[in-house]
Amino acid sequence: MFSELIDEMPLDSSFKFNFSAKDNLCTIDFQTRAGSKILDGYRPPFDATPVRRLRRAGGLLVGKTNMDEFGFGTFCTNSGYGVPRNPFDIERSCGGSSGGAAAAACLLEDHISLGVSTGGSISCPASFCGVVGLTPTYGRVSRYGLVDYGNSLDKVGILARSSSMIKNHFPTIAGSDPMDPTSCAQPALDLDETQIDSIAVPREAMENIHPAVMDSFLRALDIMRDRLSIDIHEVTVPSLRFALPAYYVLATSEASTNLARYCGMRFGVKGDDVTQHFNDYFSSVRSKNFGKEAKRRILLGTYSRMVGFRNRYYLKALSVRQTVISDYARVLKEHDLVATPTMPFIAPRFSEIERMKPIEMYRADFLTVPPNLAGLPHISVPCGYVDSMPTGMQLVSQHWSEGVLLNIANMWEGVFQYRFPGARQ
Amino acid sequence: MKSETIEEVARIARLELTETERTEFSRDLEEVLEYFSMLDEAPGEKEYGLNPVEILDMLREDEVGQEIDPELLVKMMDMFEDLVRGPRLV
Amino acid sequence: MKIGLEVHLQLPTVSKLFCSCSTSGNGPNTSICPTCLGFPGSRPRLNRRALEMTILISRFLNCRISERSWFSRKTYFYPDLPKNFQITQYESPIGVDGGYSFNGKMVRITRVHLEEDPGKIKRVGKSGEEVSLIDYNRSGIPLVEIVTAPDITSPSEAREFMADLLIELRHLVGLSERNEQTVRVDANISVGEERVEIKNILGLKNLERGLSFEASRQAKMLKAGKRIVRETRNFDEERRVTTSARSKESEEDYGYILEPDLGMYHVSSMAKMIQVPETPLKRAERLSAEYGIDRTSIRQIVLTSSTLTDFLERLCSNVPPDIAVTWVLGPLSANWKYLERRLDEDLSDRIENTIQMVIRGDITDSEARMRIGAFARGGGAETTQDSKERSTLAELVSECIDQNPQVLFDFRSNKRAANFVIGQIMRETKGKYSSSEIVETVNKEIERRLKDRVVT
Repeated sequence: MFSELIDEMPLDSSFKFNFSAKDNLCTIDFQTRAGSKILDGYRPPFDATPVRRLRRAGGLLVGKTNMDEFGFGTFCTNSGYGVPRNPFDIERSCGGSSGGAAAAACLLEDHISLGVSTGGSISCPASFCGVVGLTPTYGRVSRYGLVDYGNSLDKVGILARSSSMIKNHFPTIAGSDPMDPTSCAQPALDLDETQIDSIAVPREAMENIHPAVMDSFLRALDIMRDRLSIDIHEVTVPSLRFALPAYYVLATSEASTNLARYCGMRFGVKGDDVTQHFNDYFSSVRSKNFGKEAKRRILLGTYSRMVGFRNRYYLKALSVRQTVISDYARVLKEHDLVATPTMPFIAPRFSEIERMKPIEMYRADFLTVPPNLAGLPHISVPCGYVDSMPTGMQLVSQHWSEGVLLNIANMWEGVFQYRFPGARQ
Repeated sequence: MKSETIEEVARIARLELTETERTEFSRDLEEVLEYFSMLDEAPGEKEYGLNPVEILDMLREDEVGQEIDPELLVKMMDMFEDLVRGPRLV
Repeated sequence: MKIGLEVHLQLPTVSKLFCSCSTSGNGPNTSICPTCLGFPGSRPRLNRRALEMTILISRFLNCRISERSWFSRKTYFYPDLPKNFQITQYESPIGVDGGYSFNGKMVRITRVHLEEDPGKIKRVGKSGEEVSLIDYNRSGIPLVEIVTAPDITSPSEAREFMADLLIELRHLVGLSERNEQTVRVDANISVGEERVEIKNILGLKNLERGLSFEASRQAKMLKAGKRIVRETRNFDEERRVTTSARSKESEEDYGYILEPDLGMYHVSSMAKMIQVPETPLKRAERLSAEYGIDRTSIRQIVLTSSTLTDFLERLCSNVPPDIAVTWVLGPLSANWKYLERRLDEDLSDRIENTIQMVIRGDITDSEARMRIGAFARGGGAETTQDSKERSTLAELVSECIDQNPQVLFDFRSNKRAANFVIGQIMRETKGKYSSSEIVETVNKEIERRLKDRVVT
């Protein structure tokens, strides 16, 4: 689960807590490879802002966690550096792309993991590994030092065993950073307790879900209603089903430009023969060192923004995103939260994943993608155990209201006990 | 998907695909793009932003500042004297 | 013949467009950082002054300023482009549909936008081991791109247009020589129907040469009955010819997407707060119209110095413009380097007075020139007191002649009649003036009066 781990724990006890960082967050003293062979050996000359801030607050960075290459994946099976195994069942996936982060948060008791979500890469592994995962509002946490997947979609968040652990450290990483202008539009962070009266459940999110997972989710809603006195309402959000294609168009379009810089020059892995013509040199390095899923997404993204296709895919996706944002806003005006299961199934076995087609894997994200596309903050909390595997519930709130999410998670932890596999150091 | 198309896309993206990859990716892309075509019927707003939250008028003052020593960066790159070495141009 | 230009000009900011590296590096690859090198995790931050300068240039060129503007990624692979995409503006340039009038004709400006410069490929190849060598100091320097409609009609006109535009921009945003030397132009030229693009021409001389060569190449082809292929060509500076370009860029699909890291800009609101100052050539136009001064003269004055032009404007309010121009173009211009240093209200008055005196006939042309020369050298003996005394001399002479009108009558037959007045003034002023001064003043006054008089 660690792509790189600290050599030895320092004897110095001045560190107040320890944390890990997903391997797409730049760190000066560890390699930063974002799960890709093309960055093998890359040591950044600066720390990502969230890393720097946690360090400044007394955090000890113990290692970089494994991930799908550049964030491309739902099961953490696309890393150039091995596949992390689910702490509950080693034949099963950790979820992705912050698979290593979720595993670390699950296995290490007093530990918080920095993760990154683009389309659900914090929620999904949190759900599969039975931990809490907070994905903040887009623009709440600085992305300076984050190896880009999608610039209008990436968010840095935290995974941990409990929401209070997240609440302790979230204010440290949140807040404007002049090095990332997109982090400078945020209002002040408000973590005060609020009243939570009503949760909306979209009808569109209730289909194509494994029955046992749906069962856990419905029982969780019952608990919320009965023990926390929260009203549950069914709503309809028609644009939700278009969120997935819009997301993949935007994400792959942005990613295909972000990955253009990996060409064997200036940083990262170099090509073999510098006397080659530059097009051949670039193509050779990229083809040898990008994984299959990376290539697939680069091709998809390049296609989506080509002349003749750009209007139909890329520009259309931008306008569909706006519709999804408006629809959520409408619902969240009437209700405090939107709730769905986090993933449609429990962590699949690796053998099952091998048989999945790309389109099937993409479609598995249909529950996590909508809030991610809309840049809305959301939290995944364990809400049941199916065949001894955890299953999660995802709660979404309005832009900038992370406080509401930490609040509901805290309330939830008062009425539901999380389970963890035998602790390991 | 026509093989010329996948070849063209790969060329633009500077990816050399093997025969197998070309076939496989052709098929994958076709399936995914078929799914993407759902967007044709999707409701879209006329006005849209670049980001999901409004990022407006973010400016930096015109002042010189260097946080990281360029020497450090130079050491990381493949240099010939004081120039960065790259592949052939013609 | 139709010529359209795409001008790329470096803006004179102190820091780069998206990072705070200096725009004047001291030695190759010394002014670099993760952002302008495109390292993973780096992020662009837009330079306020670069944006303001681009808005100012757009307003100056009478463009419509977009309500909102944003940036786009233009993706293509080249060793000088760190991210293998350039952050530029595609769908939302800052200014559109403007115009620049020069030489009495209007050249339409299609668009004005802001983008980043790539690095500079310094040397290509050591024979045997051919590699590209790149200096990234230039990477990220702000470029303003100005695109004209094909309204220019000859290579020399293109050069003049550029020269004039640079004069104005120099004043508007403070272009330095370095900025001007690095101006790059892509030019479109069609002698017949088909348009040929010549890319990346450096400097005005090469622009004219490249266009001239291409114009004659196209003309020759048309004459021989051959078709002109629409293509992209390069200009070879040394051989002074255009050659067909390898299709590096012409076959690229740039796949433009919006740049989310920078967000949106309310450019039209910013534009409202930006004043367009009067630029030299516009000033020349105004003065020409206001005072009926010929274009060549006023242009020369305006291009010599703005303070000289200030002085001209001042003169024109009290002195006939054509005379003002003569004096400004002549002795003032010649001595301006020194006069400018000492120029204050007092000196300005004295210069003006001197000219007034010539007009009145109190002193001769050459005397005035001498005095102006003296001012330039450090004021000499001239003080305001002196000039007051000189007008007093003129006044005394005038008074004396008024009281002795027969002098005028006698003078016609005997020049020595002036001696009477001369003697009188000498006695009155008791050596305050030199005899030659008195003689000159008296003779002048008598002659002037005789000229005016109807002699019966």
